[in-house]
Amino acid sequence: MVLWMACSPEPKQIQYGMDACHYCKMTIMDNQHASQLVTEKGRAYLFDAIECMIGYQQIQKEDFAFVLVSDYANPGTLISAASGTFLISPAVSSPMGANLSAFSQASDALEIKTRLGGEIYTWDEIFARITQTHH
Amino acid sequence: MCRLLIVTILFLARFTTTAGTLIVCPSGCAFSVITEAVQAASDGDTILVRSGLYQEGNIIINKPLIVIGENQPVLDGNNNSEILTLLADHVVVQGFVIRNVGTSYVEDRAGIRIKNARNFTITNNRLENTFFGIYAEHAQDGIISGNIVTGEAREEMSSGNGIHLWYCKQVEVNRNQVTGHRDGIYFEFVDHSIVRENLSHQNLRYGLHFMFSNDDTYEGNTFMSNGAGVAVMYSRNIRMLENTFRNNWGAAAYGLLLKEIYDGDISCNRFESNTLGIYVEGSSRIHYLHNEFRENGWAMKIRGGCAANYICYNNFIANTFDLAVQAKMSENGLSENYWSEYNGYDLDRDGFGDIPFRPVRLFCFITERTPEAIVLLRSLFVDLVNFAEKISPVFTPADVFDSQPLMQPLILS
Repeated sequence: MVLWMACSPEPKQIQYGMDACHYCKMTIMDNQHASQLVTEKGRAYLFDAIECMIGYQQIQKEDFAFVLVSDYANPGTLISAASGTFLISPAVSSPMGANLSAFSQASDALEIKTRLGGEIYTWDEIFARITQTHH
Repeated sequence: MCRLLIVTILFLARFTTTAGTLIVCPSGCAFSVITEAVQAASDGDTILVRSGLYQEGNIIINKPLIVIGENQPVLDGNNNSEILTLLADHVVVQGFVIRNVGTSYVEDRAGIRIKNARNFTITNNRLENTFFGIYAEHAQDGIISGNIVTGEAREEMSSGNGIHLWYCKQVEVNRNQVTGHRDGIYFEFVDHSIVRENLSHQNLRYGLHFMFSNDDTYEGNTFMSNGAGVAVMYSRNIRMLENTFRNNWGAAAYGLLLKEIYDGDISCNRFESNTLGIYVEGSSRIHYLHNEFRENGWAMKIRGGCAANYICYNNFIANTFDLAVQAKMSENGLSENYWSEYNGYDLDRDGFGDIPFRPVRLFCFITERTPEAIVLLRSLFVDLVNFAEKISPVFTPADVFDSQPLMQPLILS
């Protein structure tokens, strides 16, 4: 049991202000936008923004055990990207300029969209969009 | 001559009468509330605010005015509001103490916000405990100088930047002191601007941060004891001159981080006592001239995607490692630097060592691949390995060498 535990991939606790983004090298400060990939072998890659994580996934095409994004409405909480609702809103800036945030509750995303403007996407849609606009 | 003088005096008198002065003080003046004076003022008037405590929430300046604080009047936001918002061109704000905007997670509150304005001047103010200090958005042709911006940011997540510029042009940021924020000075989409002679220290992330900004210059600044000194990212034509990068220590700390930048000029800077002097990735056509790297862990780390860079006439003195390279240095120029590690000879007395200097030591090469090996740093074994490699290089990159190492350090001011 102990051995099995040690081998299964686990997300890593992000040390805000200490860990650097694996893609853009910036120190990770923003717990509403930080993201994380964990490989099947259990190696965790940390990112300061969702757009950086997608940028890395493009150059490193492999399956990941975890693809995690921060829930904008619950700072510091990571959620599975596939289950998230994504918002691009010029009123909510993200660390690398994509104005992209993720939400666990679609209603939270809708509320900000209604109040401040923006567009809502699913994970597959946002992945395709960022892939097109960056690079 | 006398007539000219009289004409001048008459002209000045006429000029001063057209622009009036409105005086604000807590009691006994024409106004006791700054907002009311702003409403009563005409374009071009001066509002003179005498010393005292003013708690008016957000003061909105929506016409060209000169707003001057006499003996440092205090504008206090009581932790629930922004304090000064400039919405008009030709506004001057000088001599205030601006404090306590409080934090909000949905809005980026600032002590002084400049929005869609031109020709603004923000000088000699003290900002204390403001989430963002001075925040300029869609502004141009402004001066931010002589301000002291002191934040109380302790937690990385809930911190704003000291002087924050977003979509600005032709702004000068001079002689400010910024401390206790996320980034001391932050530029995003800012072009043709200058950052000169500021002191940015003890900020949580960077002393100065450029993102997506082009054709800017920063010179004569000091960046001390920040999370990291300066980050210049995704930008073109940035000139970095005569700055001091000191005491930026930590696992993710740099004096200067360069990522995806092109056509830069890095000259006459001092990099002292940093974990890593300069970290470069994906950056091309940059000239590194007349810099001094002293007592850093690594003077420079150069990663992939770097071409047509020139590293010449620099002093590399007493660094643990001078260079760590994971790039094709044959595509970059490295020559005529002074290396304190060099112990070659100069038989023809031309001032240059007769044998090339190879700045990548074997042990540095090993730690690049296995970072944990750093614990062996001061061991005798490592000294022997380095010495053996120096005599007959096998592992260290063949294309990384300075063919004309200087025998004497350059005298850099």
